[in-house]
Amino acid sequence: MSLFTPRRVGHMSPGGSAITYLLLIVWAAFVIFPIYWLVITSFKSVNDVNSGPVFLPFIDFQPSLHAWRDLLIEDWADTSRSYINSIIIALASTALSVLIGSMAAYALARVTYAPRLSTVLAFVLCMAAVLVATMAYGVDWRLAGAVAVALFVLMVRGLGNRIAGRLGNGDILFWMISQRILAPVVVVVPIYMMFQSVGLLDTHIAIILTYAVINLPIVVWLMYDFFASIPRDLEESAQLDGATMFTVFREVVLPLSKPGLAATTLLVMILAWNEYLLALFLSTADAQTMPILVAAMNAGERGILWWTMSAVIVVMILPVLALAVVLQRFISKGILVGAVKG
Amino acid sequence: MATAKRIEIREMDKHYGAFHAVKSLSLTVEPGEFLVLLGPSGCGKSTALRMIAGLEEITGGQVLLGDRDVTHVLPKYRDIAMVFQSYALYPHKTVAENIGFPLKIAGKTKAEQDAAVADAAAQVQLGELLGRYPRELSGGQRQRVALARAIIRRPAAFLMDEPLSNLDAKLRGFMRAELKRMQKDLGVTTIYVTHDQIEAMTLAHRVAIMRDGVLQQLGTPKEVYRDPANMFVAGFMGSPPMNFVAGNATGAGVKVGDRALSLEGVRVREGTHVSVGFRPEDAELAAPDDTADLVAEVFIAEMTGDETLVTLTAPDGGHIIVRAPPDIEIEDGARVGLRIDPAKRYYFETDSGKRLRADD
Amino acid sequence: MAADLSPSPTGAAQASASLPARSRGERLNEWLDRNARHIFLWPAVVLILVFSIFPLVASLVIAFSRIRLSGGGFQVRFVGWRNFDKQLFGSEQFHFLGTFGPLSLMGWVFGLAVTAGVIWWIAAYLRAGPTFIGTLGRLFPWGLVLGLGWLLSYTALSGRPFGTLLTTYFYVLVGCAIQFVIGMGLAYLCSRAIRGRNFFRVLFFLPLMITPIGIGYTFRMLADTSKGPFSPLWQAAGLGDFSWATDPWAARMFIIIADSWQWIPFVFIMLLAAFENVPRDYSEAASMDGASEWQIFREITWPQIMPVAATVMLIRVIEAFKIVDLPNIMTSGGPGIATESMSLHALFAWRSLDLGQSSAVAYLLLFVTVVTCVSFFNLVVLRRVRS
Ligand SMILES: Nc1ncnc2c1ncn2[C@@H]1O[C@H](COP(=O)(O)OP(=O)(O)OP(=O)(O)O)[C@@H](O)[C@H]1O
Ligand SMILES: [Mg+2]
Repeated sequence: MSLFTPRRVGHMSPGGSAITYLLLIVWAAFVIFPIYWLVITSFKSVNDVNSGPVFLPFIDFQPSLHAWRDLLIEDWADTSRSYINSIIIALASTALSVLIGSMAAYALARVTYAPRLSTVLAFVLCMAAVLVATMAYGVDWRLAGAVAVALFVLMVRGLGNRIAGRLGNGDILFWMISQRILAPVVVVVPIYMMFQSVGLLDTHIAIILTYAVINLPIVVWLMYDFFASIPRDLEESAQLDGATMFTVFREVVLPLSKPGLAATTLLVMILAWNEYLLALFLSTADAQTMPILVAAMNAGERGILWWTMSAVIVVMILPVLALAVVLQRFISKGILVGAVKG
Repeated sequence: MATAKRIEIREMDKHYGAFHAVKSLSLTVEPGEFLVLLGPSGCGKSTALRMIAGLEEITGGQVLLGDRDVTHVLPKYRDIAMVFQSYALYPHKTVAENIGFPLKIAGKTKAEQDAAVADAAAQVQLGELLGRYPRELSGGQRQRVALARAIIRRPAAFLMDEPLSNLDAKLRGFMRAELKRMQKDLGVTTIYVTHDQIEAMTLAHRVAIMRDGVLQQLGTPKEVYRDPANMFVAGFMGSPPMNFVAGNATGAGVKVGDRALSLEGVRVREGTHVSVGFRPEDAELAAPDDTADLVAEVFIAEMTGDETLVTLTAPDGGHIIVRAPPDIEIEDGARVGLRIDPAKRYYFETDSGKRLRADD
Repeated sequence: MAADLSPSPTGAAQASASLPARSRGERLNEWLDRNARHIFLWPAVVLILVFSIFPLVASLVIAFSRIRLSGGGFQVRFVGWRNFDKQLFGSEQFHFLGTFGPLSLMGWVFGLAVTAGVIWWIAAYLRAGPTFIGTLGRLFPWGLVLGLGWLLSYTALSGRPFGTLLTTYFYVLVGCAIQFVIGMGLAYLCSRAIRGRNFFRVLFFLPLMITPIGIGYTFRMLADTSKGPFSPLWQAAGLGDFSWATDPWAARMFIIIADSWQWIPFVFIMLLAAFENVPRDYSEAASMDGASEWQIFREITWPQIMPVAATVMLIRVIEAFKIVDLPNIMTSGGPGIATESMSLHALFAWRSLDLGQSSAVAYLLLFVTVVTCVSFFNLVVLRRVRS
């Protein structure tokens, strides 16, 4: 570069660009290597794993399909069941939380709500009372519930005149989003007891509902900003043409939010697909998901079956990988950043 | 086709918290009439229009459509179509789908929709663009799509909120003519909001002029131009607008600087602050001698082609604009006299803006 | 004000007046329409009430009880503060807080330094014009910093092991700091005009999509000093018998490395978008003025991405407090309790069927999470957004 050609803005000196590439390639190696190791381990024989490291298929070691045969043929029943469970649960819980979450987000972005503070207070008090009565004093829950409803109505009447405050959309939004702060361990024991008492433990429905709620705050949060940025004119115009809120939502709002929906769906689906702790509590056999299957590879008396476990993990990664490639333009556009613009 | 309906507004009010955006607005739009709501930015025109549409909650008063009280009826039951300033075209739908959307909502069959879309598109000369998306259209074409979408349903009334303000000057003039023609053909009651008084003059059967949420005058364009109800209306209409010179009433005349202008029969208490108004075309330049009504200094002269607009600095410090022949030779800073046609003078109370009339 | 989308009662009445004969379907539609504002919001509210708020309150009740599971059902006995007492002062203190030793010199120095820092912070706030609510709210972070500081002095800095509380904070603070620095560095590099940006972008995003369980086991394989890929290196360094899992600090770092491998992509992808949203004009103008790359970053780019960065880190911190899968898989909390996070602590308590203790620990976790995140939000995110 001669002294008199001005340096183009945004272009780096050769040295700078070499360092940039070097750093990026080092990081790329750091990202790829564990995945590479995982994949080759799934093709290693037991001996190759146990007798020290071998790195290159066909050069260092002869790839073997025994782990895959175990997984896909011998344990096919177990694998396929977990796989199907995981697919059902991820799809259903994602659909549920994206649908319900974006409806709530849309409502919060467009309709004005003003719940009375007194009603909210009364509700919280009554719920706490019911729980203390049933759990600590063994009162029958039907009785406690009935009393609480009566009490609630009385309190709403009585307090309504005394406490004038009202909450707004912002408060509801914050309340919903803040649920994400709850670590699963905080709520999982009561959820476990709840499903146990209605006999839904180890069923799809229990896990689907739980996952949907756990991910609801993310959906509400990401979609709220998206909906709020849609010009109101479009919805008002549709309204004048006779559209109901449902029609406006379906015909105008959702199509315009496709990028946001795609990014949100991807994120929520990944979270549901990979979730382990809640599944550990809520499923024992029939509803067992893939992460549980992975962990189960550790349980045998032969120690950890690294080869099969690697194969299971690879199988688990493949669908999310496919999804991410399909939706990668939404990721790379940085749609998600809309929600954190501050 | 729904027959054109009358729109009646009775003492309509809008409060935004403590802010009173529309104050007791009453007006009636006859079936098939083209009414223009005119006023400066922020005077509450859009708010009023949106209340008629039902998009904005009404704080007080009533809206009647035909004989039906629609004050608390949802927008979608009002049978009104609206054209937004932004056009509000759905970016994810083609032109045809945009135009056909109201019929789709109404549950019409695909065949009916297609026929009606073709019809409406032909009416606004959009025929060959039906397969495009809004982003592939020019401003004027988008405008037409919005119009087509409004007319396809044959609504009882049209509401338009500055539909032409996003177009360039030339296109605006052209679309204005088209719009007027179309409204005439369809005969639909129309309320049109604008802050552009030329648009108002050319389009309207009647003009309603608003200021700070209050209706100032309602009348035909000729009436509001020729016979403004107050100083605000007088100063708002016309381009360039009416000139005002401020003075004090002294018995039979108004003392402006060292001259006195006759009051032409208007009776007013002595000492009242009075402004005399006249339009740029109703005064002529003359020698600065005793026969002149006013003497002023030339600020600048601008040749516009068929005329010269001469801006003068009045004795009270304000500016006066006068139309003069294009070939006039005049120097900046020169002192000139002004002769004002006595029959075309308007008198106002300076403080209240109230019009003072000879027969009062 | 928002045009209310919900039908008003009069509106519905008017509408039905004009539709004389209506089928059942139409009536249903009309009902749906009229109640749309509720139908949109209530499912979410109910789900959260049932699966989040109700368990939260129930968990609180459990935290104050002793639960005995007996033949399908369970018996609850109210025990007051005893569960918390046990964690904070009783037989589980070593587990939650750590083992207290006599203060070492370093402990004294650190504890006093933290105290001085907090006093300076309080003084700075009081000088800036305190409000009642502001002071009340700040009592929490002040107390938390002071408490954690002295806890660290009494345990780790005095040569004693610490408990799950400090371990969790170690994961959160050190892990998030590493992830922030590396994530931002990568985002910055990738935001420049380089070839193959999209490739790096997608590649760097990958680890975020892999299940934490899988990552845990994969890193266990990688870290194996006798059979893992790096074992030749370990052997050459004479560390052939060394095991990550037996040294507390090595084990903790091991978990942080795996956690960072998974979460740096998140910071990266968010900040990359933030970098790309910074209008080019500013930096171009600045480089015309002869600013160096570092000056441009500090003076122009950084202030613009600061709000996004703060929010991204808030999300990351919230999630980091929940860490459980990695320590569970990689070390089972060991050696001893060295890598046990609070979530894992609660999980182990549940496994031993001590539900009261489990809920108490979970509530303590909730408390420190909320205090930390709310403080971070108010003191960092909001302030940056405001200024
Ligand atoms: N949601 C709102 N909350 C508070 N004030 C509002 C709101 N919407 C409008 N206003 C105020 O009401 C007044 C009238 O607004 P409106 O939009 O009707 O003006 P306009 O006459 O249409 O002006 P323009 O020609 O600029 O469109 C303005 O002063 C505006 O600031
Ligand atoms: Mg307006």
